[in-house]
Amino acid sequence: MLLSAANMEYTTRYHHTAEQLDYEKNLIEAAKENPENFGPLYNKYYKQIFGYVYQRMDCKDTAFDLTAQVFLKALTNIGKYEYKGVPFASWLYRIAHSEVMQLFRNQKNAKTINADISDLKNICEEVEEQYMEEYKGIMMQMIKELPEDELHLIEMRFFEKRPFKEIAEILNITENNAKVKMYRILERVKKRLISKHKK
Amino acid sequence: MEPKFNLNRPPIGDDEINSKKDFGELVKKFKSESIEKARSDSNFLKNKKITYSTIIAGAVVVCNVTYFAVFKSNPPKIESNEKTITLNQTVTNKATSQIKKIQSPIKKIDVPYQSYKLNAQKGGVITHHTNSKIKVPKNAFINKKGEEIIGDVEIKYRELHNQTDILASGIPLKYDSAGISFNFESAGMFDIKGIQNNEPIYIKKDKTITVEFASKDTTDHFNQYIFDTLAHNWVYLKRDNPLKIVNQNKGILNTSDKEPNPKITALEKELNLIPPKIEKEKQNTEQKISQIKKPKAPIKPNKPIEGREQFELDVDYKDFPELEPYKNALFEVGTENKNLSKDLSSVVWNSAIISEGPKKGQNYILTLKYKDRTEKLIVYPTLTGKDYDEASKQFEKKYSDYKQLLAKKEAEEEKLKAEFEQKMVEYAKEEKRLKQEITQEQIRLQRARAQQMEESFASVNNRVKVNRVFQISTFNIYNSDCPHSIPKGEVINPIFVSKEKKSAIVPEIVYLVCHSKNMILQYGNEPLKYNPNDSYSICIIKNNQIMLCSKEEFSNSVSKGKFTLTSINKEIDNINELKQLIGI
Repeated sequence: MLLSAANMEYTTRYHHTAEQLDYEKNLIEAAKENPENFGPLYNKYYKQIFGYVYQRMDCKDTAFDLTAQVFLKALTNIGKYEYKGVPFASWLYRIAHSEVMQLFRNQKNAKTINADISDLKNICEEVEEQYMEEYKGIMMQMIKELPEDELHLIEMRFFEKRPFKEIAEILNITENNAKVKMYRILERVKKRLISKHKK
Repeated sequence: MEPKFNLNRPPIGDDEINSKKDFGELVKKFKSESIEKARSDSNFLKNKKITYSTIIAGAVVVCNVTYFAVFKSNPPKIESNEKTITLNQTVTNKATSQIKKIQSPIKKIDVPYQSYKLNAQKGGVITHHTNSKIKVPKNAFINKKGEEIIGDVEIKYRELHNQTDILASGIPLKYDSAGISFNFESAGMFDIKGIQNNEPIYIKKDKTITVEFASKDTTDHFNQYIFDTLAHNWVYLKRDNPLKIVNQNKGILNTSDKEPNPKITALEKELNLIPPKIEKEKQNTEQKISQIKKPKAPIKPNKPIEGREQFELDVDYKDFPELEPYKNALFEVGTENKNLSKDLSSVVWNSAIISEGPKKGQNYILTLKYKDRTEKLIVYPTLTGKDYDEASKQFEKKYSDYKQLLAKKEAEEEKLKAEFEQKMVEYAKEEKRLKQEITQEQIRLQRARAQQMEESFASVNNRVKVNRVFQISTFNIYNSDCPHSIPKGEVINPIFVSKEKKSAIVPEIVYLVCHSKNMILQYGNEPLKYNPNDSYSICIIKNNQIMLCSKEEFSNSVSKGKFTLTSINKEIDNINELKQLIGI
């Protein structure tokens, strides 16, 4: 198991330099003082949060509404936010995840998995298996059947192409823990693919 | 329920995502939720006696409290009981609590009003320093009770011609027309007030004041607007048809650089005095040195050389004191005498006279005469035996004294020379200082002349001005502007950083000063929209601090969206200094 999919292009927007983190901290403090100052953070993260929300559903309008809801929650609770040396995005992603989950509880059919064929190929590569057309259906089915927390990991790692560090910060777990969890999921995928191949 | 699985769903474009971004709406929702929360406070309705109207009133109070508690910075200033002058109405005594006062963001840079006194009954024409004219008819004013004004009134008037004036005055340049926002390009504005005894006065219903506003912009694509203090928006009055005027009074300023400058002349005079001073100092020193008495060197006694002619002479030592030690001397003929007669010693000479020789104190001229024959010889005094020993002793003593005196003389000379050198150093310093001052003054003059030249050219260019004629029936702010759509060329989410503190700045208002047009774009906490073909600088005012990102810095930083701002508060004291820094 590689756990570092060589051909996968990671998103780099999340990563912040020390200077950027420091700047962001100032923006957060300013927003705590006056909600009108939340603008720069809103502008900076709107697209990322929308992307996260829309990745998990089919309806664009619902995704836009939910994104607005995420920022409203963030603005309402900004006073409670505590800076922990990680990008502000991780906190927004957690709010977004919570809002998305709430929506799925209310609207059971809203949940959608969105992926590209290349993402499925990346999973195969990760488990050191040659991708074959017949794997597509199995993999899609397997992914659909995953428990929510495991699906969340797969989505972030393979469909949103996030590095483990970022995933760990969003889930508020250690990077190692994120890797272990991913390893277990991929092991099961591998077994399933091998058994199919043998048949 | 199993989730749906989409494979290769087409992505959504950035434009669509950005079109849904609406920070203003977010803040609005936030405010309304805060208000709702306040309203639903369980304690609020505990008192069942509260009537429905009280609930509403209470809710408003709570809303306001909540609003101001949350939005601490810059709550809008409400001025109650101020008289509102609305359009098509000379005087409206209706009190309002909704007027937003126009206020300069920083008082010291505000555009000052010029105050003019005028007799209300006589009326008259006021000429502003820009050549604008305010024509006031007779009996044109009334007070708040509608009574005619008698006596002198004060007309306060100011003009705003460029971006800095507009920024400094706090007058908005945004124009909302039927729900569509525009930004004004300005051909100039004026702000006019009437006062008597510290009370505002009003223009009578059947009277109008004519303002012939001298505008530098001669183009004719502008409209006239009046500022609606209630709606805080501009209201269209009419199309502006400028009247061209030629101002022939102003000529080109004399820019000749041959004109003597009194300061430079004085400095040069001072400088020219230095060489004669040095010469005089040199002469004085030389004179002093020459006045130091040179000790006379004693003559070392010599022994006669065998084989040379010698004469024994009776010398009067009073005439030759240096020969005192040479008593009993023999005067030996020197080697410099050529073709000596062989009979010198054999002739009995009638007279032998000595006089000073070519080497003073060392040799003598001996003139020998016999009948008509005269011989002149250079002779040296010589001594022998005891006379020589005695003379040598005296010589040693006198030579020692001589050396002491000579050393003293040399020391005095050195002292005088050192004093002279010191004075030369001081003169050189003075000369350098004067030359520097002259150079500085010349540079200053050159700059001043260049500026003068520029102004002269500007004056020539500005000679052809236009008058924009306003017929006003209310004291207010008027402008001759042209609305432009909010730029759509580029959008940036700016990051502002303080150059001094290196920290982030979250501005309340961002002024995007357009240098290509007489226009200023005002933004809050929102993306900046600008036209990439125009040049801009950024001015931010926060907590009474003015921060600037120059035109050059803007152009270098705009691609990254991170702007470094320099605080310029200490550097400016008035609007002209701000103009210079912004580069207008």
